[in-house]
Amino acid sequence: MFISAALPAQIDSTGVPKDTVDYYEMSLEQLLKLKSHGVPTELEKLINSLISVASKKPLNIRESPSIVSLITEEEIKKSGARDLIDVLRLVPGIDFGVDVEGVVGIGMRGNWAHEGKVLVLLDGQEMNEVLFACNFFGNHYPIEQIKKIEIIRGPGSAIYGGFAEYGVINIITRQAEDINGVSVSGTYGQMEKDFGRRNANLMVGKKIGGFSFSLAGMIGQGQRSDRTYKDFSDSTYNMAGSSALNPKYFNAALGYKGLSFKFIGDFLNTTMRDGYGDVVKDGPQKENFNSYFSELKYILKVNDKLTITPRLNYKNQTPWQAPAYDSKAVYSKNVTRSTANITASYNLNRHINFVLGSEIYQDVAVDHTDSSYFINNKQTIGYFNYAFFTQGLIKTRLVNFIIGARFDKHSAYGQAFVPRVGLTKKYNRFHFKALYSNAFRAPSIENISAADSTGIKPELTQVLELELGYQVTRKSILTVNLYDIETKSPIIYYTSQDSSNTDLYRNFGRAGTQGIEAEYRIKDRWGSIAINYAFYSAANKEKVALYRTQNTSSLLGFSNHRVNLNASWNLSKKLSFNTTASLYGPRWAITSLDTIGNSVQELLKPTFLLNFFVRYMPVNGLSIGAGIYDVLNQKFSFIQPYDGGHPPLPGTSREFVFRLQYDLNFKSKSAN
Amino acid sequence: MIKSLSIVNLKNLLLIALVLLGLWGGKTRAQETNYKAYSLFIYNFMKYVEWPEAQSKGDFVIGILGDSPINKELQSLVASKKLKGRNIVLKKCSTPEEAAGCHLLYVADSKSGSVKALKEQTKDKPVLIVGEREGLAKKGASLSFVTLEDDELKFDINKKEIEQHQLKIASSLVSLGILIN
Repeated sequence: MFISAALPAQIDSTGVPKDTVDYYEMSLEQLLKLKSHGVPTELEKLINSLISVASKKPLNIRESPSIVSLITEEEIKKSGARDLIDVLRLVPGIDFGVDVEGVVGIGMRGNWAHEGKVLVLLDGQEMNEVLFACNFFGNHYPIEQIKKIEIIRGPGSAIYGGFAEYGVINIITRQAEDINGVSVSGTYGQMEKDFGRRNANLMVGKKIGGFSFSLAGMIGQGQRSDRTYKDFSDSTYNMAGSSALNPKYFNAALGYKGLSFKFIGDFLNTTMRDGYGDVVKDGPQKENFNSYFSELKYILKVNDKLTITPRLNYKNQTPWQAPAYDSKAVYSKNVTRSTANITASYNLNRHINFVLGSEIYQDVAVDHTDSSYFINNKQTIGYFNYAFFTQGLIKTRLVNFIIGARFDKHSAYGQAFVPRVGLTKKYNRFHFKALYSNAFRAPSIENISAADSTGIKPELTQVLELELGYQVTRKSILTVNLYDIETKSPIIYYTSQDSSNTDLYRNFGRAGTQGIEAEYRIKDRWGSIAINYAFYSAANKEKVALYRTQNTSSLLGFSNHRVNLNASWNLSKKLSFNTTASLYGPRWAITSLDTIGNSVQELLKPTFLLNFFVRYMPVNGLSIGAGIYDVLNQKFSFIQPYDGGHPPLPGTSREFVFRLQYDLNFKSKSAN
Repeated sequence: MIKSLSIVNLKNLLLIALVLLGLWGGKTRAQETNYKAYSLFIYNFMKYVEWPEAQSKGDFVIGILGDSPINKELQSLVASKKLKGRNIVLKKCSTPEEAAGCHLLYVADSKSGSVKALKEQTKDKPVLIVGEREGLAKKGASLSFVTLEDDELKFDINKKEIEQHQLKIASSLVSLGILIN
């Protein structure tokens, strides 16, 4: 008897035409391919994806013990995202602001998180520079090479330590197996008055048996804006030609079975003229952010239950490197971090997993100028840190229970202990997460150097999160989450009140936000729609004057209300049309000084960023894309999210983007 | 001016959202369990488990204790297949007592609590108890299904329990499952 009834695709995947096989006569080996559930929809494939950013042990998104977002390569390519800002600003709670010297940094859930509060990982390497612990956004990082981005929109310190207080962005690039050949791509962006970017990428990779290799590179030129910057004294300059964002990047990887070696170079050469707010009289200045990363790792599978992973990391960074200009001294410091980490993961059974690990690192910073010294009055300083971390995961029929903690002891600022506990579970269409986490921000080398007489210590944060999710149909899901963030004694930058105007850091006050984020996502073969809303309030939390506005619920730079849209239509197998949009509610900014030099705050009007991108794939491997970013020419500006004397920094004007990519000898992939 | 919103209001918002969700999604379904795959496994359990000589003649009786969507798939099985020339019969059971005389007894998820009683009742009798719910093999079933993290369908094997029921399981089938003792 042959069975012609509709059968799950997993069975069909045996490769035998379904009207010619007796399924009851399948071999035992064929039985091994059977899945517990029927053919997943495009959405179910996404929400059942396993991610490990929040738990070390891979768990599906709905049960992962953090509020997480997953961005796929397909979404990035279809959207035509120009850089990481375009991708991340669509994530609930993530926003960007200007720091100083043309640098744009990240904010998380209304909080300015630029200095050491959000960890950016690229293929497992901590990209944050170690002097101030910052990351730099804008035509940085090779967007065309990303396979996926896993984001924790909450604390990650119990796993990742002192740079993951408010969030973790885990970028995973395409590895040897994904590349499986050669890939070349180029992007050109044209703003109204000048080019926005011109970047080229090359990737080569192949896996042969247990051996794999990949080499990827990117070189490019970009500009923050072609608009006019105006400071509080009404001095101006044209940012075209004075706001370069020129990246160079390479990523080399070798692997043999469990052993892997990685070497990454990341160089962002910029020019700027905004300085600390006043237009630099000496003209455009070069500022470089250069880093090398290397990693040697071995994944040792002792048996089916126990895996031990030792790894060694070394990074060498020269961030914020700038010459003397106006009255500012030259900045030229180099820092290295050498890390040894060993992590063991033990599956007691299918339901219970333990992770135990230890990490030590040493930082060495060198000042290459003759004008400044570290806290030890020398031009070289070193610090040492050791840490222990553990995690237990128990999965039961009713609930998954996770408990974890990390303990750090630093040679300069002492210790930090951050436990966390979480409950998660999916019940058919419904899932929930209840999470309580402690987190900390480790004072950076420059925080320690510029600490005032009270000294400096880690700032501690407590975060409560609750997520509820409901798979409304097999092709759509709604998730809603609440959070409450409270940071005690945050590390605050200020300037001394005496005539020296010295830059200083100290712990004082308290900070934080509470809010709600909701996302509705539909995904099917015709395309996808993701719409999300994020709201924060600082009404009960923020006590640091530097961040506050005239409205107690709003903080400088970040709108209380945000709506984002990412919609894609597959017009045919070869052609897709994508719309992304961000609606910013009113934002508070410091836009001028009064007659006695005090900052004047202004509530800026809502901004609506609308973008279109069309992608056409005429033949297998070739992808041609064109789009318009900021169709409505809203002229978005990055606001300084603290009262630091810097007017809003203009971003790009309307930008036309063209992208060409060709993949040679790739595995055939469906055009979707 | 942007109005401030307290956390109390946020909770109310969430509550309203959930109520609306419940109304909206009430008639929809999530990813369906692949009961066809379950039935294929059951047929192979029948093929690769050996019953005593006395139970190897006549009809092969599959009992289903409780309600389960697998019923439809097993009906298809009994209508289309024989087991080594024997007819396969499906018997629906509401209580453990009604399960007497079955060669293979499938315990639906809703009747998982009956496994301990079944174990006592069928002690030393040649019946293969198969649990739909994960973990039942540890509680006295001979086999129970399990879904691994990547949605792979597997089964736990309680070899001690199988042997106590005078049954023999082929090593080729053992290699597909997960031994718990």
